[in-house]
Amino acid sequence: MLVCLLPASVLFAVFMIVPTVNVFRMSLYTWSGFSPDMRFVGLDNFRHLLDDQQFVRAFQNTIALLVVVTVVTMGMGLFLAAIMTRQRLRGRNLYRFVLYIPNVLSVVVIAAIFSAMYDQENGLLNGTLRLLSLDGLQQVWLGDQKVVLYSVAIAMVWQSLGYYMVLYMSSMAGIPEELYEASALDGASPARQFFALTLPLIWENLRTTLTFFIMSAVNLSFVLVRAMTGGGPDGSSEVLLSYMYKQAYTNSSYGYGMAIGVVIFAFSFLVSLLVSRATRREPLQF
Amino acid sequence: MPNMKESTRTALLVAVRTLVAAACVTLVVTARTTVGWGNLLVMLAALAGLLALLASYNRRFR
Repeated sequence: MLVCLLPASVLFAVFMIVPTVNVFRMSLYTWSGFSPDMRFVGLDNFRHLLDDQQFVRAFQNTIALLVVVTVVTMGMGLFLAAIMTRQRLRGRNLYRFVLYIPNVLSVVVIAAIFSAMYDQENGLLNGTLRLLSLDGLQQVWLGDQKVVLYSVAIAMVWQSLGYYMVLYMSSMAGIPEELYEASALDGASPARQFFALTLPLIWENLRTTLTFFIMSAVNLSFVLVRAMTGGGPDGSSEVLLSYMYKQAYTNSSYGYGMAIGVVIFAFSFLVSLLVSRATRREPLQF
Repeated sequence: MPNMKESTRTALLVAVRTLVAAACVTLVVTARTTVGWGNLLVMLAALAGLLALLASYNRRFR
């Protein structure tokens, strides 16, 4: 029996445990990433993090994206899924298809689409505002420090909304129709049915997607930021992973980059654990 | 409040929870505008607030 587990255990150790341990180990060294000189510096890299305002900004941006994108995507995803499942909408398969398409596209393609939409002169957004004589609302969407992170957040929501909607729809479709009929006979409104029936019965699915949201806030934001803004202007759209990447591979501070990696690991792990604890409940049988 | 009707109590609880959630999200958005450890801690506290809210909503279903 144990022999059967050996190949998987070896693969897991080589590709998961060893690299993770190495990230922790490398965070205690200064190393350029290329030279043979590696110097043990203990917790110095973490001490430097405390004085690094750019790291603090990247951390703040990551939390902002985590909260805003999760709340908006989850709210819209649940709302759309409930409408698509419960209401007899004409052409709902078309809506589902259209909303799901962004998830099939590469994130870099999405970044290119949104960069073109946000273009200051010829972009769809500013062009539409000009057409509607709303010139005052025009923005430098990817060049204004106050706006840029939310421009990225909109792209993140657009990319993932269809995916979460389909996930919620699949679990909502599994709820027996009789339960809704019985609650309707008892006088429950559609809103009441949603909160008292639908939400509890898709709770396990919601729990899973919450973990997905944490992972995508950390991972997907990196790709979009890298492709759309490069962290700019002046680092105002930097997120933790893009800052780690910059330090480790552009700034030749590999050890410092790994220290940021340790913080990302600890943060993601802790938030996922807390979400899991906060949402744990006895699964409902139906 | 022992004399309060059950439905009123539920409505009040939902309203309070919605307000607290909105306040936490607003706190995250406003605290981001200034860079600093203090503001980062405020954002983390708001995130913890949202998680606490989720836990309090979930408690009666455990």
